[in-house]
Amino acid sequence: MKVRVDLAKCVGHGRCYVLAPDVFSEDERGHCVLLEETVPPEHAQQARLGQENCPEGAIEVAED
Amino acid sequence: MRENPDPETGEVSLFDPELATCPQPVYARIRTRCPVARAAITGSPVLTRYADVLWALRHPEIFSSEMELQMALGTERPMIPQQIDPPAQTRYRKLLDPHFSRKKMEELVPAIRRHANALIDKFEDRGECEFDQAFAVPLPCTAFLSLCGLPLADLDHFLEIKDGIIRPQNIHPEAFEGLPPDRLMETAKEIRAQAGRRLYEYFEKVIDDRTENPKDDLMNSLVHAQIDGEQLTRSEILDICFLLLLAGLDTVTATLGCNIAYLAANPDQRRRIVEEPALIPGAVEELLRWETPVAAVPRVCKRDVSVNGFEIKAGELVTLLIGAANTDDGHFEEAQAVDFGRGRNIHLAFGGGPHRCLGSHLARMELQVAMEEWHRRIPEYRIKPGETPRFSPGIREAMYLPLEWDRG
Repeated sequence: MKVRVDLAKCVGHGRCYVLAPDVFSEDERGHCVLLEETVPPEHAQQARLGQENCPEGAIEVAED
Repeated sequence: MRENPDPETGEVSLFDPELATCPQPVYARIRTRCPVARAAITGSPVLTRYADVLWALRHPEIFSSEMELQMALGTERPMIPQQIDPPAQTRYRKLLDPHFSRKKMEELVPAIRRHANALIDKFEDRGECEFDQAFAVPLPCTAFLSLCGLPLADLDHFLEIKDGIIRPQNIHPEAFEGLPPDRLMETAKEIRAQAGRRLYEYFEKVIDDRTENPKDDLMNSLVHAQIDGEQLTRSEILDICFLLLLAGLDTVTATLGCNIAYLAANPDQRRRIVEEPALIPGAVEELLRWETPVAAVPRVCKRDVSVNGFEIKAGELVTLLIGAANTDDGHFEEAQAVDFGRGRNIHLAFGGGPHRCLGSHLARMELQVAMEEWHRRIPEYRIKPGETPRFSPGIREAMYLPLEWDRG
């Protein structure tokens, strides 16, 4: 799975790194940091959870 | 009381007592009949659909937070950063966000847990309490004092100033006795301004102290902070402090009260989180959505715009009815069901777009810790028989929430 984050849309709700800590982290301001663009299958469900809980629609996931 | 919205005019009463006590059915009626409505008396537009509210939140260049007609809360200038729009607002957020990040807030968890338990110690053995005054009001104040690095001994002083600003009628009832209606607003304004001045004075002293004796806390960071190589002015620091106090205390108080009132009235849901505390973070999110204590936020329209075929004119005050957006069937699956295990929950209780609540991570932390400690120590509670909780309009605080429980 591939994950993309549009950082211009991120305002730091922080849902992604709370719900999917193996896929996302946070910078000093609490904005999203994508750990790896390619997500292994064991973290795919986390990535989807992070994506669908972003209130700004800043995260995209593409299944392999 | 007329039906809300008014079946003839389609106007919405934002002062409907039902919007304070049990708002969801009213939201549903407004959303269905007039998704963009006009408020009674003021005639100002009210947005209720999730998609419209989110769009407005994301477009501060159209729906601005810079209002000439401020909510006159005793401030002498706009509060920073809430009442300033990007790009100026962005510079302040870059400075403030790191102090309110999830990571920073986690450092406060032990202190908040201690404060929560110290409060419960005071009344647990009695088997009853009035939740608002005993717990919901003081806890966020202790969190605020810890965050800023201010002494806990100042708690009562703070509560007094805060109430003077937010609820002048409650703190100085004598000043309002026998006044004609046209004098009420003016009196409230005077009390607010007085309390506002006391707040400025208090923080002036803190600024002086941190200038001379640097410490490792938020107030110190503000005093010594720089934006583009320039130090914040005294006014800027005071305008930030004003916001922290006004936005950070009542909102969490209100949310705690709404949550406990809901759980006291819904024992099955309450038992779920008592038996499985791991559900608490999900319960906090779902109750933020369902109860939406900050039910409405104001904006001012900067240019003529059409929303859902409804024309809004430049200069009009617009109400974003967040509570209605958060219960919109057009966005949420099973929107009228309260589900602590909801997988997708992008509620707008903390707003969205560039003005996303600065304190959202602080609020979530306080709510989670409070819910954990309360239910660990007082799992079996209910509304006192024969009593009815009372809620305030605007910010939906459970102003009177009498509880009782079995003593262990």
